Amino acid sequence: MNVRKYFATALLYFVLTIMLILFMTPVYGAIVTAFKSQAEVSAGGYWTLPSSLAAENFERVMDPEDGNLGLYLQNSLLLTIPASLFSIALGTLAGYGLGKYRFRGDGMLFILIVAGMFLPPQIALIPVFRLMNDIGLYDTLWAVIIIHTAFGIPICTLVMRNFFQVAPNALREAALIDGANEYSIFFRIMLPLTLPALAVLATLQFTWIWNDFLWPFILTQRAESRTVMVGILNLTGQYTVDWGGQAAASLIGSLPTLFIFVFFQRYFIRGLTLGAVKG
Amino acid sequence: MFRRHPWIIPASFLALPLLVYFTFVILPTLNSLYYSFTDWVGYGADFNFVGMANFEKIFTDRLFSNAIKNTAIWLALAMTAPTLLGLALALALQGKRRINTIYKSLFYLPICLSPIIIGIIWVWLYSPKLGIVNLFLRSIGLDHLATAWLANPNTALFAVFVAWAWQQTGLNMVIFLAGLTSVPTPLVEAAKVDGANYWQTLVKVIIPMLRPATVVVLALTAISALKSFEIIWVMTMGGPFNKSDTLAVFMYSESFRKFKMGYGSSAAVILFLMTLVIIVLYFRQTAAAEELYE
Repeated sequence: MNVRKYFATALLYFVLTIMLILFMTPVYGAIVTAFKSQAEVSAGGYWTLPSSLAAENFERVMDPEDGNLGLYLQNSLLLTIPASLFSIALGTLAGYGLGKYRFRGDGMLFILIVAGMFLPPQIALIPVFRLMNDIGLYDTLWAVIIIHTAFGIPICTLVMRNFFQVAPNALREAALIDGANEYSIFFRIMLPLTLPALAVLATLQFTWIWNDFLWPFILTQRAESRTVMVGILNLTGQYTVDWGGQAAASLIGSLPTLFIFVFFQRYFIRGLTLGAVKG
Repeated sequence: MFRRHPWIIPASFLALPLLVYFTFVILPTLNSLYYSFTDWVGYGADFNFVGMANFEKIFTDRLFSNAIKNTAIWLALAMTAPTLLGLALALALQGKRRINTIYKSLFYLPICLSPIIIGIIWVWLYSPKLGIVNLFLRSIGLDHLATAWLANPNTALFAVFVAWAWQQTGLNMVIFLAGLTSVPTPLVEAAKVDGANYWQTLVKVIIPMLRPATVVVLALTAISALKSFEIIWVMTMGGPFNKSDTLAVFMYSESFRKFKMGYGSSAAVILFLMTLVIIVLYFRQTAAAEELYE
C-alpha cells in the first residue's frame, strides 16, 4: 500500500514537472532571446541559451532615438500611480459609507457599484472617447487616469466594504461616546486599521492598470502620451524580425508587475480571491 | 449594532466616489445605448437618430454572424479547458509541501503579465519556421502537423485561445485553491474512513463542496472571455479572413477602424447584454448559495 502511494506521488510530480516545463517555455523563450546579440538571433538559435549576456537589445529599446521605451515607462508610471491611488481612495470612502452605515437602498447601491466590476469596457469605449474629446482631455494621460480611477471604484469598494463590515466596532463606539466626530473616527481610527486591505488593493490596481492596453490605445495618440504597453506593441511593428528587441522590451515592460508578483505575492493572490470568492 | 444615522453622514462618504462612478462608468454605458440608435461617425456633433436600423442591419451582417460564431467557440473553450486544468492543478498542489509553493508560484506567474506581452511571446512560439511549436513537432517526426498556426484559417482562433488559456488557467487555479481551503478536512477524512478511494472522495465530497468556487470561476471566465480583445488584436487582429474575429474585435474594428460609431455601439450593446445575462445568473447563484449556507 505504501509503495503504491509512493509511486502515485512520484508519478504526480513527474506529470506536474512536465506541465511546468511546457508552461514556462514562453517565459524561458522571452528571457533567452532578450539577452542574445542580434548576430546570434539571426543565426537562428532562438531557443538555445545565449552564448554571452548581451545588453545591446536593452540599450536599443531604451535609446530615445530608437525604441524610446524610457519615455513610455515614465508615462505608465505617471498614469498607474495616481490612478491606483485615486481609485483606492474613492473605493475606501464608498466602502466605508456602505460598510459602516445602514440606510435605505444601501444594498441596491452596493450591487450597482459591484456590477461595474464585470462591465465589459467595450460598452463605454465610444462615449468615453467622445467625452474626453469634448472636455479636451483626449490624448493626455489624464484621460486614462480618470477612466482607470472610475473603473477601479467597484473592486476597491467591494474589498473595502467587506473589510469595514468586519472591522471591530468597539473602538468606534468608544470614540463616539468620547464625542469624536464621524470624520475624525474615519481618519484617525478606521483608516490605520485598513493597511493590509490597502496593500492588497495597491498590488491589484497597479498590476491591472500597468498592464492595460485598451484604454490608452483608444484615448491617446502621440508618442508623448503613449504608455508602455501601447509603446511595446508599436515597437513590434518597427522591429518586425527583431525578436531580441521585442523580447527586451517585453521584459522591461513586465518588470514592475513581476516585482510585485515576487515581493508582494501574498497580497496580490489574496486580492484575486477576495474580489472573486466573496462577491 | 448599527444605530440609525442621519443620511447625511454616509452620503458625505459616498458622494465623491458615486459622482466619479456615475459620470465615467454609468453615464457612458447609458450613452452607448443611445448611440446604438444613431448613425454617428466618430467626429462632428451632427448625427441622426435611426431607430432600430443598426440592429436590423447587424443581424444580417455576415461579419457579425461570423463574430458571434467565433465568440461562441471561444466561450465554449474558455468555460472548459482552463477550468478543468485549473481545478486539476489546484487539487494536485493543495498540500502543504514546500515544493508546492514553488510550483504554484510558477503556474500563476502568467497572471501578472499583460495580454500584450503574452501575445507577443506566443507569436514567436507559433512562428512557422523558427517557432518552438513547429520545431518540436518536426523533432518528433510530426512534420505534417507543423503549420503557420496564426496564418492558417483553421487553426488561428484555437492558437490564440491557447495563449489566452495560459493566463486564465493560473487565475482559475488560485480561486479553486481558495475554495479548497473551505472544504472541511474531517469530512474528507470521514469519507476515507468509510472506505472511499480518492476518486470517490473527489466526486462525492470535494467537487460538490467546491460549488461556490466553481460558480465564481465560470462567471469570471465567461466575462473575461467575452471582453478579451487585446490578445487577439496583438496576435491576429481578428484574421486571417476574420477567422479569429470575436464580438469584442468586431466592435473595435467597426467603431475605430471604419468609424461607424453608431453601428459599433450596437455591437457593444449586444456584447453588454450577453455579459448582463452572466452577471444576473451569477448574482442569483451566489445569493442562492448564501441562503443555502445560512
